[in-house]
Amino acid sequence: CRSNVYEQTRKQVALLNATAQDLFSLYLKCQGEPFSSETDKLCSPNGFFFPDFHENRTSEKEVMVAMYKLFAFLNASLGNITRDQEELNPTAKELLDRLHNTTKTTQGLISNLTCLLCKNYNIFQVDVRYGPNSKGKRAFKKKQQGCQVLRKYVQVISHAARIL
Amino acid sequence: ILCLTSLICSQEIGSPGEPQNLKCIMHNLHKMICTWDVSSKGRYGQTDFCYATSDLLPPVCIKTREKRVEIPVSESSFTVIITTNSIYGAAFATKKFVIHKKDISFIPLAPHILSLTPDFSTSTLNLKWSDNGSVFPYGLDAFWQIEILRKETMEKVTQVIYHSKLTHENIILSWNWTSDMPLECTSHYAKIRSYINITDFVGHKDWSDWSPVEKVPGKDTEPNGSGVFPQDTVVAVGSDVTICCIHEEGQQIQQMTYGSEIYPLIHLSSRSSAIRVVNASASDASGTNVVCTLSQDWMDGTVLFVGYAPDTPQNLSCETSNFLIIKCTWKPGKPSGLYGKRRTKYSLLERISGKNISCEVNEMSRERVCGFPVLADQKTYSFTLGVSNPVGQAESSLLVDLTQRVHPKTPEKLIASGNSSTDVHLHWYINGSFTEIWLLCQIEISSGHSEQKLQNVSMAGGKFSTYTAQLNSLHPYTKYQFKVRCSAAEHFWRWSDWSRAEEYTTLEAQPARGPDVWRERSPSGRSLKIFWKPLSLSEANGKIVSHEVSCYLLDTPLEYKEVTEPSHSTEIKLGKNDCVISVVAKNHAGSSPPTKIMSVELPSDDVRTEHAVALGNGIYISWTSYPNVTCGYIVKWCHSSGAEHCSVDWEKFLSNTTDAVIKSVLFRPGVRYNFSLYGCKSSGYQLLKNITGYMKELPPKRAPNFTVEETSSDSILVKWEDIPIEDCQGFLEGYRLSFAKGEKDALKSRLSESGNPELKVKNITDLTKKSLRILDLQGKTSYQLDLQAYTAGGMSPANSLYVVTKED
Repeated sequence: CRSNVYEQTRKQVALLNATAQDLFSLYLKCQGEPFSSETDKLCSPNGFFFPDFHENRTSEKEVMVAMYKLFAFLNASLGNITRDQEELNPTAKELLDRLHNTTKTTQGLISNLTCLLCKNYNIFQVDVRYGPNSKGKRAFKKKQQGCQVLRKYVQVISHAARIL
Repeated sequence: ILCLTSLICSQEIGSPGEPQNLKCIMHNLHKMICTWDVSSKGRYGQTDFCYATSDLLPPVCIKTREKRVEIPVSESSFTVIITTNSIYGAAFATKKFVIHKKDISFIPLAPHILSLTPDFSTSTLNLKWSDNGSVFPYGLDAFWQIEILRKETMEKVTQVIYHSKLTHENIILSWNWTSDMPLECTSHYAKIRSYINITDFVGHKDWSDWSPVEKVPGKDTEPNGSGVFPQDTVVAVGSDVTICCIHEEGQQIQQMTYGSEIYPLIHLSSRSSAIRVVNASASDASGTNVVCTLSQDWMDGTVLFVGYAPDTPQNLSCETSNFLIIKCTWKPGKPSGLYGKRRTKYSLLERISGKNISCEVNEMSRERVCGFPVLADQKTYSFTLGVSNPVGQAESSLLVDLTQRVHPKTPEKLIASGNSSTDVHLHWYINGSFTEIWLLCQIEISSGHSEQKLQNVSMAGGKFSTYTAQLNSLHPYTKYQFKVRCSAAEHFWRWSDWSRAEEYTTLEAQPARGPDVWRERSPSGRSLKIFWKPLSLSEANGKIVSHEVSCYLLDTPLEYKEVTEPSHSTEIKLGKNDCVISVVAKNHAGSSPPTKIMSVELPSDDVRTEHAVALGNGIYISWTSYPNVTCGYIVKWCHSSGAEHCSVDWEKFLSNTTDAVIKSVLFRPGVRYNFSLYGCKSSGYQLLKNITGYMKELPPKRAPNFTVEETSSDSILVKWEDIPIEDCQGFLEGYRLSFAKGEKDALKSRLSESGNPELKVKNITDLTKKSLRILDLQGKTSYQLDLQAYTAGGMSPANSLYVVTKED
């Protein structure tokens, strides 16, 4: 690992935290009404899986593992969302740019966490649970699933940023 | 009478058991079904049904327990005798009927629906049934009344009449109906009946019975059929659309929204409601959301994509840059507003070959491009560009002769080479196969000191070839930039882009001419200073490295010097004899022709000095024609004045010239230049006259110094000095002495006031005068005196003195 990997990880999480709300708001706007006006109802997490990130974890190792699971999940979900939006909203350049940038930072985080887990805790494998693939789903469900992921992401990333 | 009345075939109330109401119906043209009833109910035995079509033929009898028989169709009227028997078999009642052709009805059998197939994606029902045409003669008109019903209540949605021709064969007919509501929303039903128009049938014709109803159940009848329908549908702007929400039994819809608007609900069933959007407007790229909110805030939805059919492609144009691919471009017109899977798809059909290709087009770019392969041995192409999206399609066609649509690729690898000072070879490469045509290539020739030129060259097209051209008559030692572009020679379509520029400098050549030379004899006459002007770039033909200066007496060189650049003068000792000076400019390619000039200075007599006049931004000099000046005049001057080192300049004129405007960028206003006019005679040069002049006169820099020489009670004598020439800045024309009573500075305010009676002015135009006595003054009075000098350029500043006259 590079010598400043922890610091870099912290900065990456802080960056994601700083940009999450704007990404979510722009996403809602691009899906059309009533996604902006009925966000809570349409995008509620009921029956929807998102990796937990509790702030009362006991050890740094648990925190790192939880973060790895979170960002691995997020990376896959962002892949789905980006693919869906490239098809539904190909003219929404700013949204697509933000999704690409968030994905890049997330992938950087995964790389750093992989190194930290390996070097500091000898952890070489983490079981990750992923969300459902939105491929083949109808357009409304794609919009809704992306909304659910990003809404939860805004909440969870702020927890992660606080812990680091 | 009783016998007669029994012949009547009509509804009658007769004796018990008596047959009545005999009706004969045909369902086809072969058999009739006759039915009757008996006048009163009771237990009867079999019935004898006897019919006779002719008095000549015995009747045919049929025993039956039913009140229905099937008999062949009769071509004419026939008689029927029906006998009701008792249960014991004895004849009980008999009735005779005469059936005329007009009494027989024709009612086709009810058709059967073979299939009712839904296409949910298009909300279309397809109905199939057999026309049973085999039992009918060829060519009869058949009419099919089809009804579509909807909802549990089986409301009639539409009724249509479909026409077909019977072909004496059983044909399966098909009919499509598109619902204005998704088929999932509620159950749909279809039934059909027929009417066959037998043209020469005189009896009553009627519609058949309805077929059994066929059903397409809606999702509101399925256990897990909940959802919002239609799913991800694409409609045209302006369409009317029905969207429904299907939920579980017991649930209730709170609202349905289209975008941000709440729409009134249309009840369909206990599990299904709909909304109707009229004249739908264009949606955003991601469509318009339709959301169904149930109780407990459960939400489901669908997305409706509302867009435009593709515009007819405009300005379809096809060309080839390399005879390998034909590039077709067009303007797409108004955006459809549909993207992704719903985007406009393009295909290019070439009708002569029948080849059809799909085009991958970037919707985000403004230009639409599609490539089609050039086909062997095909020169003419008939293209049809087809554009389609889910709501419509359009096309545009174009016929092209490929040899007339050549737009070559940009020439590459342009190289200039050569070993000449005036010629160059150019080579370039064009990617493409042009063996079918001749190419016309245009070469742009640019250099720093001449206008851009274009040169055209035609050549046979090659296959991925290098092409060459030779350019002649270039200037030596000149940096050129070459660019090339090409087009088809015979049928011009478009030029290629210009190649990137290739720089090339031609080789040096000998200087084109000898330098312009002048000489100045030293006052002692023993030496001669030679001056020359550098050759221009176009004359130098290279980098001038030195000048050879020789002094020849007859053909014998008395002195020789090689003067390297950047010197442009030298001095040679003359000795006892004058000589002819030869000056040659040299570069690496050789020497210029010599310029020759005589050293002899002929004596001058009466050389006068004249004034020249400024004209424009030059100095106008004129002279009379001098005798024996056979080889021209030379005007020479220095660009510096006074004691500074003289930077000699000169200009030569032909013998028939008598005036000139001398111009130089080095001339400055207010500077006096001294010109010497020489005449060139066969034996030498003679100074003819001197001329001084200014390119522009300015006011003198300062006033002359002046002093008061004497004062009396009524006069003052003042005296002044000359102003140095370098301060004059022009030819002095006079002095201006102004005076008035007053203390120091009092005059200034008076001088600025026009018409002041106190102010007096003396104008001295005689420049030889250096003093002036002012008279008629008052004694013991203070006077202020101002002295100024002036030229044609204006008045100098003033020098002031204050004088007090003596007491009377």
